[in-house]
Amino acid sequence: MSHLLELEGVSKRFGGVRAVDDVDFYADQGEIVGVIGPNGAGKTTLFNIVTGFYSPDAGKITFDGHNLVGLKPNQITKVGIARTFQAVRLFGAMTVLENAMVGQHPRTKAGVFGALLHGSSTKAEEERVQAEAGAALDFFGDRLSPRLNSLASELAYADRRRLEIARAMATEPKLLLLDEPAAGMNPAEKDGLIELIGRLRDQKGYSIVLIEHDMPVISGVSDRVVALDYGKKIAEGTYDQVAANQQVIEAYLGKSATQETP
Amino acid sequence: MRAALTGDNVRAGLIGGVVVLYLALVGMIERFQDRDVITGVIGLGTLLILIGLAGTGYMASRPPKPRSGQEPVSANPALKGLVAGAVAGALTGGVILVLELLISAGADVRSVLASVTPGMLSTLEFGLGSFGGAAILVALGAALGAGTGALRLLSDHARDTVTFTVTSLLLMSLLEPILGAVLDGLGLPERWLYQGGGLTVLGAILTVVIAGTARWFWKQREPQRKEAVASMPADRRSLYRKLAVFAAVALLVVLPWIVGSFISDVLGTVGLYVLLGLGLNIVVGYAGLLDLGYVAFFAVGAYATGILTSPASYLVREEGQLFAEKGFTNFWVALPFVVIIAIIIGVLIGAPVLRLRGDYLAIVTLGFGEIIRTLVLSDWLSPYLGGAQGLLRVPPAPPDALDLRAPQNVYYLILVFCGIAAFVAWRLSDSRVGRAWAAMREDESVAEAMGISVIRYKLLAFAMGAGVGSLGGVFFAAKIGSIFPNSFGLLVSINVLSVIILGGLGSIPGVIVGSAVLVGLPELLREFAEFRLLIYGAILVAIMILRPEGLVPNKRRQRELHAREFELGATAPDEATA
Repeated sequence: MSHLLELEGVSKRFGGVRAVDDVDFYADQGEIVGVIGPNGAGKTTLFNIVTGFYSPDAGKITFDGHNLVGLKPNQITKVGIARTFQAVRLFGAMTVLENAMVGQHPRTKAGVFGALLHGSSTKAEEERVQAEAGAALDFFGDRLSPRLNSLASELAYADRRRLEIARAMATEPKLLLLDEPAAGMNPAEKDGLIELIGRLRDQKGYSIVLIEHDMPVISGVSDRVVALDYGKKIAEGTYDQVAANQQVIEAYLGKSATQETP
Repeated sequence: MRAALTGDNVRAGLIGGVVVLYLALVGMIERFQDRDVITGVIGLGTLLILIGLAGTGYMASRPPKPRSGQEPVSANPALKGLVAGAVAGALTGGVILVLELLISAGADVRSVLASVTPGMLSTLEFGLGSFGGAAILVALGAALGAGTGALRLLSDHARDTVTFTVTSLLLMSLLEPILGAVLDGLGLPERWLYQGGGLTVLGAILTVVIAGTARWFWKQREPQRKEAVASMPADRRSLYRKLAVFAAVALLVVLPWIVGSFISDVLGTVGLYVLLGLGLNIVVGYAGLLDLGYVAFFAVGAYATGILTSPASYLVREEGQLFAEKGFTNFWVALPFVVIIAIIIGVLIGAPVLRLRGDYLAIVTLGFGEIIRTLVLSDWLSPYLGGAQGLLRVPPAPPDALDLRAPQNVYYLILVFCGIAAFVAWRLSDSRVGRAWAAMREDESVAEAMGISVIRYKLLAFAMGAGVGSLGGVFFAAKIGSIFPNSFGLLVSINVLSVIILGGLGSIPGVIVGSAVLVGLPELLREFAEFRLLIYGAILVAIMILRPEGLVPNKRRQRELHAREFELGATAPDEATA
């Protein structure tokens, strides 16, 4: 049994706070895993550890045969993990197309001399970058493609979230980490998101791990759900199993609330 | 209505008055008065007073900002301008009057305020004596304030024409050294236009009439013209663009022979700053790394050139035989080595600061700039670098037949260098490397998450910036022929940074315009020289407030800055609060 992404006993401490505490976690090829938990449960920290922004204090992380511990974020992107951010973080002064083109960076290699000489291989690579970026944007139907030359900062909010996903897709990942993709979306947009995440797996073949507070979205897309609280994994299973778990209910509602209601 | 007329307008008037008084008390008005705008009619000092008063009225008459929960009270802009202008005039006149009374009472005002000379007072009083002067200042302030305030009532088209005309008149007069030299160079008579350093009355009238009508019709036709350009077939448009580029290049090539050797020399200095600006623009404008010690690379370029080519340098002196035989002392042979040395030093300086961001980076690079200057001054390195005595006898660029030290010839050398640097900057900005820099500038962490090695691209930016900046040093050494540590002070870094900020960060044409304005103009307007830094500061503050994207902005940055104004309040919260 070899998982695509596997974390074993991963811990991360900030001062006295155990942000992530001895967590085992895995995601299989083609699987969609939902990560839930109250604020401060360590979900985003977990993402930051996987993507190399934090180095774990303890534990092992393997992805597709690579040991991720000690790799830099850019190297981790190169082996095939892409992510979005909780607060949308686009390159606001760059156009929609350019944002997606930046995503192609790890799959291309033109350097200073390529840029200066602008020979045929550089030209071909630039064309390929544009085509790949365009294809990632086309995945969102008519939401992004007609706005190729708009600045990212000029987009409507939901389109910014979409562009962030498109930019991550342009890195040609095997695993996509989505940090609260539904935040700030209206119900119709959330339905669109559920459908989109399904298509990302079915058509692109990505494995997906998403952090989400919105339970309809989690139940709508997840094959498996993992719940965190105070940095520890408190439950794992199907959505229904996790939602019925006493510890999970306590984590969300507080202990006293569950005891008072019979 | 009354409240709307006093309050803010009086405050604006007081500010305007303080500004005019300040300019007078630092001696700027008197010094500028030596220069005629329209010969025999108005001097630059007087004009400065008038601009101060008129500007007060213009600022005061701005339409009020809508405030929540309260209907904006809007008085007639002309009235508001009148009040503000009159207050500014009254304050100026009042203070001048007090100074006059103190002087006539025997007080030694000049021991405190050194610039209060009879000449300054007479300029401010328009030669009408103390009471007459105060009265005329109030009257002028009121009239100019009302006049500029009334501009707000005009249509945009008319207001644009008026401002354009006034600006043209000012520029025509201030650019007398260039335009006069151009007329001279073309063998045309100039006495009808310029006399004694200013415009003639005829020249002024012609300027106003021609600029005014031309601008009026130009603006009137603008919609049709835009439509015509838009409907033009693509090949026609690219033909026109090529013609425009060709014309610009042709103009640059013949320029030194039209303007003569003095202005060619100034153009050389402008070109030097264009070169340094293009290099720094890569570091600051493209990669977003605020480098306050850029002068280091300029110094490295100059010193490396000196060491490799000057017969007085340690290397050539001691190893002279070997060097001469191999032709190493030749400028053109040394050039690539200098650039490589600079790139290596760029990487060495870049390496320790890689982990720093923003302010910290700026402070550390500031330190590096000073370290380089201190090193070249040090006794320790003086056997090699000449210490305070400098490095002398740097030969000009061969071949000698071209005499690449005469201002008009050296201009071509810098033109070629600038061309190369601009090409490098342009190609880099529009490439995978440029995109990586832009991403890093926008958000370093996200750039990393997109697979960009921040360390590698920071080093690359420093290396490229260093390489281009060293070309400036190479040129400087070959042009001047001697290198002294004083030439590489902090002020150079600040000037270059000012140039690219004024022109517009990340914009190649912006660097050229920025250099022309900040470096070229002060060379031509000698009256400005001693107030150079004051004017720098004022221009930079004004630009940052009025046009934060710079004079010739990078299109993207301009759109972004204005998009932010536009969408204020219209955006969804960036972070989920759940």
